[in-house]
Amino acid sequence: MSVLTINNLSKNYGGVRALRDVSFTVPEGTVFGILGPNGSGKTTLLGIVMDILKATKGSYSWMDQQHSSNAIRRQIGTLLETPNFYHYLSAEDNLKIAAKIKGKGEEDIPKVLELVNLYQRKDSKFNTYSLGMKQRLAIASTLLGDPNILVFDEPTNGLDPAGIAEIRELIKQLNKAGKTIIMASHILDEVEKVCTHVAIIQQGILKTVGSVASVMNTSTHDNVTSLIIEVSANDNAALKNILLQLNGVESIAQGENELQLTCIESMTAEQINRFCFDKGVVLSKLNLKRKSLETRFLEITGKQSDR
Amino acid sequence: MLNLFKIEWLKVRTYRTFWILFLSFIVLFPVAFYFSAYKYMESVSTRGDIQEEMLKSMFDGPFVFPKVWLASAWMGGLFFILIGMLFILLITNEVQYRTHRQNIIDGWSRMDFLKAKFSVLLFFVLVSTTLVFLMGLLVGFIYSSSAADMLNGIRYVGYFALMATLYLMLAFLIGILVKRTGLSIIIYFTIVCLVDNILWIIFTLKGNQLGYFMPLEPVDSLVPNPFKPKLLEKRTLEDYVLIITAFAYIAGYIYIIINHFKKTDLKT
Repeated sequence: MSVLTINNLSKNYGGVRALRDVSFTVPEGTVFGILGPNGSGKTTLLGIVMDILKATKGSYSWMDQQHSSNAIRRQIGTLLETPNFYHYLSAEDNLKIAAKIKGKGEEDIPKVLELVNLYQRKDSKFNTYSLGMKQRLAIASTLLGDPNILVFDEPTNGLDPAGIAEIRELIKQLNKAGKTIIMASHILDEVEKVCTHVAIIQQGILKTVGSVASVMNTSTHDNVTSLIIEVSANDNAALKNILLQLNGVESIAQGENELQLTCIESMTAEQINRFCFDKGVVLSKLNLKRKSLETRFLEITGKQSDR
Repeated sequence: MLNLFKIEWLKVRTYRTFWILFLSFIVLFPVAFYFSAYKYMESVSTRGDIQEEMLKSMFDGPFVFPKVWLASAWMGGLFFILIGMLFILLITNEVQYRTHRQNIIDGWSRMDFLKAKFSVLLFFVLVSTTLVFLMGLLVGFIYSSSAADMLNGIRYVGYFALMATLYLMLAFLIGILVKRTGLSIIIYFTIVCLVDNILWIIFTLKGNQLGYFMPLEPVDSLVPNPFKPKLLEKRTLEDYVLIITAFAYIAGYIYIIINHFKKTDLKT
């Protein structure tokens, strides 16, 4: 069963076309990443399916529309864009309001506050919270009533490194517990680390969608998966000349302190090391990188920062 | 509706600004009303020289039954502007904190949001009307020599409720459309204190009754200033015409609010 189905969704803000004919489905039990640069339409898309923005064209349905959308939203934990709370109320009172609207009891409140390490500060007013604490409170609020679907828009926004790791771990655990998670992010690394599926959006256009593995493996120019290897030596110019002779090296890009080789999939670090050593060059760095989503992302969206 | 109001109550229960403005009305209006009555009765009873005039003011004055109901309603209306401001604040706060989005994300329909705010409106109308009634009763009993025709002017309590509803509906409309707290309050005061009265003066000087159909004029005229000399009263329209007009405005505002809020993108 699909959790969310989106059909030809378009949204115009005056002359700006924020979304153009976007269609995809989110399968149950996945961590579905919506990836795109700032202003690509991720939040607009999530805003529409949460009924706070009205689509210009197209439709969507949750759970194949077995219930009215209000009833459905009560069963979804959503953090959209920024933590939205009453500034003058305590964390606990804010969660009481959210729980009441969702039609859930208040018994979950201490548990979710514990989960995001805010229990000690539950009586503090929201406006005394730091950015990271506000974000954690918003995540706590999404967990009220133990929903089966969670929607996170930039969940690690404003968190410190430890907080980021905790939230990523939490998302993985939630997914393991059988929950479907829809997550928008502009951080490639984040999507790569936690998502099972990804949709890439650019300027409101859906560029590609599918499981992370399938998106990574479909190359734009050919179907052979390639491998990135970083190497450096005392004399990188000489090293480059030598490596050009090695079979299986497709291209060499000159980095600041190292060379970046794009190789065929069967290339190994050992092969390169032995080849260079035999030619009389000792490598000072040899780093095997599997082709990352970042590379794929740049292939798909182009490299200009004004994408 | 009661459930929605309970949630609204959670929102304001510990909100200091709410209590400051709400209690200001609850305290200032009765104190001012009682003090005015006290001073007025004191001044007429010490005037003394013209017996007949004095007795007439005593027994037919604005603070004795049945006229005390009008005085209470009118003065309640003066202080009610505090509640109007508070109501705007409660609506624009939601936009400012983006909690109107969160309420809907968490599972309210857009109509639920409007109904919840309407329940707060009813709460304000109920509390203030009760207070107007109690003050009329209290001051009336203190200064009236007889309670025989005390219920004669009780309709003014009902007029006050209608006035309070229309004033808050206008505040509701402005809050929903304008969204910014400061700007909304300025626009509200401009309409309440200036625009409405200026239009009324223009029409009334021209000698027609159109002025009484301006947005807040129907209810303002239903509860006229009890200290205003009868000579200045230019109204020839019956009360029921003004009541119908007031209801028409309320219905119109409700229509615009629902129509706008159901279709709009909820942004700040």
